[in-house]
Amino acid sequence: MNNVIECRNLTHYYGKKMVYENLNIHVMDGSILGLLGKNGAGKTTTINILNGFLQPRSGECLIYGENSQHLTPATKARIGFLIEGHIQYTFMNIHQIEKFYSGFYPNWKPAPYWELMSKLKVSPTQKISTMSCGQRSQVALGLILAQNPDLLILDDFSMGLDPGYRRLFIDYLREYAKSENKTIFTTSHIIQDMERLIDDVLIMDYNRVLAQCPISEFMTTFKRFDFELENDQVNLKKEPFVRNLEMVKNKVELYTYESKEFVQKFLENNSVGHKGFKQVKMELEDAFIGLTGKY
Amino acid sequence: MWKSIVYKEWLKIRWFLIGFTTLGIVGIGYLFLKVQHGFTFNGGSGFWYNILFMGFQFFGYFKYFPLFGGLLIGVAQYFPETINKRIKLTFHLPLKENNVLLMMHAFGVVCLLISFLLLLGMFVTMSNFYFPSQMVYDSVVSVIPWFLAGLVAYFFVALIVLEPVWMYRFFYTLVAGFFADIYIKSPVIAAYGPAIPGLFVLTILMSVALLFSAYRFRKGEM
Repeated sequence: MNNVIECRNLTHYYGKKMVYENLNIHVMDGSILGLLGKNGAGKTTTINILNGFLQPRSGECLIYGENSQHLTPATKARIGFLIEGHIQYTFMNIHQIEKFYSGFYPNWKPAPYWELMSKLKVSPTQKISTMSCGQRSQVALGLILAQNPDLLILDDFSMGLDPGYRRLFIDYLREYAKSENKTIFTTSHIIQDMERLIDDVLIMDYNRVLAQCPISEFMTTFKRFDFELENDQVNLKKEPFVRNLEMVKNKVELYTYESKEFVQKFLENNSVGHKGFKQVKMELEDAFIGLTGKY
Repeated sequence: MWKSIVYKEWLKIRWFLIGFTTLGIVGIGYLFLKVQHGFTFNGGSGFWYNILFMGFQFFGYFKYFPLFGGLLIGVAQYFPETINKRIKLTFHLPLKENNVLLMMHAFGVVCLLISFLLLLGMFVTMSNFYFPSQMVYDSVVSVIPWFLAGLVAYFFVALIVLEPVWMYRFFYTLVAGFFADIYIKSPVIAAYGPAIPGLFVLTILMSVALLFSAYRFRKGEM
């Protein structure tokens, strides 16, 4: 499969503060990739670079083979962009905004937009500014679906949405992307949502990429083991196989890509006294926190 | 695509433009009501004495009105683009970024010009009722720089509002004040006559200033 997005050796600083150096990421055609990271890890910076609203210090991002800083109108027409907070022209009503956008896109398909609008209990002349956050999210999503883009870039789509609207948004989006073979690059603060939506995960920490792989692979290879140390002075944090270790008194949560047998053998070979050793099943959010740490 | 741009810009500015133009029409009507009042109560000779020897500008009340119009339309058009950085939506439209901005800008200028020409036409028509043609000509020469100041105000509002850094906005505001002052400085009737071609050129040069703010925004200045 071809790469729709390819960032090569991306480096960016805000003043002297490094966001990342030599970041390499790619998104394949037809996949749904979720970019996860703590606040300040560089998610919105990456989205801004991808959309040409920020010039990186060095490196480049290519979208459909074009530098994201100089996208041609034809390529921009292939990209649907959801701004954090579902920002739209709120001085318009739902008819006006549909009329406005339809003039730009030759492949405009109004049906999905009006289908979503029919679920909203809004009057035809009601301005978007007077709608709830959830209703505005449906307007923004409906417009992107009507644009019928090949690539959707969604910046924190779940911001401000209640569980019902989040579920509606995700279910619509996934169904649409899979049936129409669309590519999605998305971020979200609410990681449970991502688990329902994405195929591939990209986890960023400050200055670096911690993981980029299919979510199924990540969830099977990344593991959590809980146990109690007999001596809480033992320090396992610096062992090369340990990706993260959370410890409260003598209770340990150990995160690793190694197998249960490997970890047990390590503890035995190094005479690390312990009890209650068990592997704990994780959701994506647990795995994310396990990999990035609890601040 | 240009139809969609025109549609969006019209939705933003329509009530402000209609309100401004209506206020201008009422204002000019009031201006000539005062002229009529002057003729009636001071007598024709008294009114003429004031104009010829005391430097009285019967249209002086109108001095800052076009400037106000430029500010109003500029804010109405560009401020909504900066709320939550909505200008990103505009830049993401399938057009060259500068072309979108220039289309928006051109529409704003055309609307302002239509309003200004309407007001100027009304001013000239009514002046012809009361004053000889030389006097009307001098009055028009006097008010043209004020209308140009309105356009300059519009251009600078676009530059200032789209600028992403507050310090630069402050600096541009000072520069805008300096330039606007050039257009409305002299109180002498028809004093700007020889300078009008130069003022036109200066105004045209300032018309594309907003592209600099847009460039800075897209670079990610903050």
